Amino acid sequence: MSIVELVRLALSRIASSRLRAALTMLGVIIGVASVVALVAVGQGATSGITARLQGLGTNLLTVNPGSSTQGFTRGAAGTATSLTADDANAIAALNGVAAVEPEISSQQLVAAGSLNSTTSIVGTTADYATVRAFTIWQGSFLTPATVDAGVSVAVLGATTADDLGLGANAIGAQVTIGGLPFQVVGILQAKGSSGPFSQDDQVLIPMATARHYFVQGDTIRSIGVSVATPDQMDLVKAEIQTTLEQRHGIAAGGTDDFTITDQAQLLSTVSAVTTTLTILLAGIASISLVVGGIGIMNIMLVSVRERTHEIGIRKAIGARGRDVLAQFLIEALTLSLLGGMVGIVLGVAVSALIGAVAGWGFVFNPITPLVAVLFSLLVGVVFGVWPARQAARLDPIVALRYE
Amino acid sequence: MTEPLVHLQHVSRVYEMGRLQVVALRDVDVAIQSGEFVAVLGPSGSGKSTLMHIVGCLDRPTSGQYTLAGTPVAALDDDRLAALRSRAIGFVFQSYNLLARTNALENVAAPLLYQGVSRRERYRRARAALERLGLGDRVDHSPAELSGGQQQRVAIARALVTDPALILADEPTGNLASDQGAEVLSLFRELHSAGRTIVLITHDQEVAAAAGRQIHIRDGSIAAGEIAA
Repeated sequence: MSIVELVRLALSRIASSRLRAALTMLGVIIGVASVVALVAVGQGATSGITARLQGLGTNLLTVNPGSSTQGFTRGAAGTATSLTADDANAIAALNGVAAVEPEISSQQLVAAGSLNSTTSIVGTTADYATVRAFTIWQGSFLTPATVDAGVSVAVLGATTADDLGLGANAIGAQVTIGGLPFQVVGILQAKGSSGPFSQDDQVLIPMATARHYFVQGDTIRSIGVSVATPDQMDLVKAEIQTTLEQRHGIAAGGTDDFTITDQAQLLSTVSAVTTTLTILLAGIASISLVVGGIGIMNIMLVSVRERTHEIGIRKAIGARGRDVLAQFLIEALTLSLLGGMVGIVLGVAVSALIGAVAGWGFVFNPITPLVAVLFSLLVGVVFGVWPARQAARLDPIVALRYE
Repeated sequence: MTEPLVHLQHVSRVYEMGRLQVVALRDVDVAIQSGEFVAVLGPSGSGKSTLMHIVGCLDRPTSGQYTLAGTPVAALDDDRLAALRSRAIGFVFQSYNLLARTNALENVAAPLLYQGVSRRERYRRARAALERLGLGDRVDHSPAELSGGQQQRVAIARALVTDPALILADEPTGNLASDQGAEVLSLFRELHSAGRTIVLITHDQEVAAAAGRQIHIRDGSIAAGEIAA
């Protein structure tokens, strides 16, 4: 018997008992749908986090001051005042470093007309846009000339500009920062991140200007380093460490008064965590798939018992054991495959809905449905073989007598 | 003399029931030539059902030789036995044994499914078989929508559709009213005169009279010899 004949036989059988078939498939439908949806949610979350982290800058190393020590008390990371502009210049001179931006910051009230906002004022250099992966939306970014001259110009983050009611025609407009007049020279393209530490809610001004008006001393809050190529990350990181240890007079193996954060490292840690979570979720969802498979097996066993007489007739008119086996196996497979396909549609719909609500959009990976279909076929085989063997082994004489 | 179509030599069938042995057939010799219409006659419990199962390749003898259409049956495994049934035997049962929830056409076409006949050819031959038996207007009726006589004619069409060497009928009139039973028997006589080999198993002397030859069976043995027509 050809597979087409067997599938036709199975479909006519399923069509003749639709409610039972639908209820049997429900287990597989729920199983496959939850696997597809949960994997998509996992992948969506991963891609959302990855996109956000990559938005921080490519090949980015961040150097932050370490913790300060007063007496025997060690303070929190970043409390030390150990980094200077000269450190930044020394790092900029290293091999493999594409750009460096030192930054200092202060919270100030920014006002434009009757609107105002308290936000982070960052004093930095012209390389900030390169290192932190910002593009300009309107006007221009800080230039080396404006930075060196220490003039009162400002580049606004997208959210800040919005809060101040400044749009595309605001280039050249006056704003006050901490009561001092500044000219807006540019507005940044939004990165889309939100929350209290949004990169879109800040004002960038020349380093010297910030130092002059808002931040005392000569320490630096952090240094962003853009490495030329991804494979140089570890090398440059080691170079920076050696250079800063020398400059700060720290013996090799001693406690550093700075920390270097690796963007790629963070990224791989995050994706490792989300991958583990995705596998965990899919594993839990697979349990329902197994339960669905057991449901199919149960129904097929009942079906073999109910159709014993039919099996007897089929054997008498020439069906071999393997014909009967194939008939019941294909019936179980058809049930699980149909359930699997409905489950995929349902799972994709649910993941699209969750994606829309959570904001990472519709993540569709064609591998997932493929795996789900194969898995549901596997379920059909595993849980269909036993009932089918029971059917195939029936003695035709006994089966014919069975009513 | 040609080799008989159905040839049983010293066939015994013993059922083991725990430590008890029940002898259903004892040293039976039967030879049926191609083209014969033979009735196997015996009361219930005489072993005629066991004989039918062995002749029909649903069961194997415990000892002795059975040759069907030149094929020694004892050596065959279950799958080969099924293939032989499919090729050589058409069954007609007392209770029709049609597939429920399956229309007459599909029922008649079913044996061809196991011979690997294409769908169109299956339906063509099934339709032709049903038309020969006067059921051309009943092809899409399910068994429940047919009378007993009609169901038995569908079953006969199913037995004929593979063009088997042997038609094996087990009490084919047992569930039918007498007029419908007579109709079925005259159908068998027609088939016989058209050259079919028919073995009819019954307990009813009147039904057996329709056959050309009778084999009486009693207590698992052929009794009173074979009565020639």
